[in-house]
Amino acid sequence: MAQDGYTGAETTGFVSPASDHLEGPIDLSEVLDLRRPNRYPVRVLGEALIDRGILPGDVLIADAAADPRPGAVAIVMLHGEVLVAQLAHKRGQWWLRPGRRDQPAVPVSEDMTLWAVVAALVRERV
Amino acid sequence: MPATYGLIDGNSFYCSAERAFDPALRHVPVVVLSNNDGCAIARTPEAKALGIKMGDPWHLVRGRAELRPVRWMSSNYTLYGDMSRRVYQVLAERVPRVEPYSIDEMFLDLDVPRDLALFCAELRQEVLHIAKVPTCVGWGPTKTIAKLANGLAKDFSELGGLCDLTDPAERAAWYQRLPVGEVWGIGGRTQEKLARLGIESIADFVEADPRIMRDLLTVVGGRVQMELRGTSCLPLQMMVATRKGLACTRAFGRPVTQWSEMREAVAAYAHRAAEKLRAEDLEACHLAVFIHTDPHAPGERYEHLQHAARIEPTSDSRDLIAEAVRMAEGLWQDGRRWVKAGVVLNDLQPAGRQARLFATREPRASAKTMAVMDAINRQHGAGTLRPAAIGIAQNWGTRRTMLSPRYTTRIGEIMRVRAF
Repeated sequence: MAQDGYTGAETTGFVSPASDHLEGPIDLSEVLDLRRPNRYPVRVLGEALIDRGILPGDVLIADAAADPRPGAVAIVMLHGEVLVAQLAHKRGQWWLRPGRRDQPAVPVSEDMTLWAVVAALVRERV
Repeated sequence: MPATYGLIDGNSFYCSAERAFDPALRHVPVVVLSNNDGCAIARTPEAKALGIKMGDPWHLVRGRAELRPVRWMSSNYTLYGDMSRRVYQVLAERVPRVEPYSIDEMFLDLDVPRDLALFCAELRQEVLHIAKVPTCVGWGPTKTIAKLANGLAKDFSELGGLCDLTDPAERAAWYQRLPVGEVWGIGGRTQEKLARLGIESIADFVEADPRIMRDLLTVVGGRVQMELRGTSCLPLQMMVATRKGLACTRAFGRPVTQWSEMREAVAAYAHRAAEKLRAEDLEACHLAVFIHTDPHAPGERYEHLQHAARIEPTSDSRDLIAEAVRMAEGLWQDGRRWVKAGVVLNDLQPAGRQARLFATREPRASAKTMAVMDAINRQHGAGTLRPAAIGIAQNWGTRRTMLSPRYTTRIGEIMRVRAF
């Protein structure tokens, strides 16, 4: 229900022909599946993934139940830091592929936690 | 009734919830403090190993040299509540029924057509992966046995976080080893009574004459004995029982000496209690207010005052604030240092149940105003719209100086991730 109580049906003069067809505003929690226990919104810092279409300030919807796959963007915890990075699978193991070409790929190791895989992106201002 | 009950609980749940979002906490001792950063209420194993006990007052132990690596955290109940919700959801999708027993403990109906050791191991993995909290699981033919098994899974790390007490022979062996005080529902007082009869271990208790146990410990103790013998007496409770009463009581961040501050605090508690009431679609017919001074303050007389009365059934914040403030004003004394206040609502009933012959309020207008306020607060965050009586600065409020972000419920506080 809208805050002022008018949903498109409570007319005073003519009966609203829409009253049997009301649906309310679009619920982005629903669209982005935010009520699921595995969905976590996170905020991007830094410009390293601009070529991948991910800008600083973007909200990523991380999915902790999704399986990693090559080319996916993942949230990982490493050395006390939380990173968002592209995954690659080469020579039988997983790598973090840096967004900037001048940096080497980092093998996914024991001391790294694959926290979630990015499923969606929200940009509040375009 | 299920053939097997499970109990899953979060390891150092509050600390684990903090660690889920802050990798810098992963390998250091973490302690979560009670409201007002008072004392330790959750500790990681590393913190326990340093000798920090439950209830240790932070201001007394913080200076110790050996505790320098400890990360002290204020309690972030918004975060813990949301992580508990996630744990519940993960479980509810995998077992037939779940009973949330506390914020970090859930009873499970484990009637699943699977090898339970494998199934529970998977369950732990999935809760860890999705809800980010490490857990232990215990299971057996009754809730009391499941609770005991869970305690063993927690205390004996060689069990790998899992403990199966389904097998009577295995159970009997543990019963010999464990004091009866380890059992859920057997407190210190009961343990003393039993000790006088020479009952020390769980095995002694299980073998004791049931009639004597019922006489000594009432029907409740009799039930515990039955459950330990493998006969289930406590079913899973699916519905939260209708509340009999509801309270909002909190210690202040510092002693309150001004009536204006006390008035704000009591109004805020009444408002919060009214919100809880409306969330469950209830009305209160009875209201009590109490205020007290610090019972441990040297050289001050301890004062605990309360006032209670029947009220016209309501869930309107404005009514409850007015009544509660009026009661508190009657209790107020200048020159004292008040440390805590509370608002307690009783005789709760479903909203709008009775037509009121002598009603002095217009219930529909009231319901509408409150619904609008609650809707705005749901959408824009708690406290966005509130009665003026509860104040703005709230200087008496809870002290939380080491509070982590509300990572999962506030868009401005979500976890930050650095692009690589």
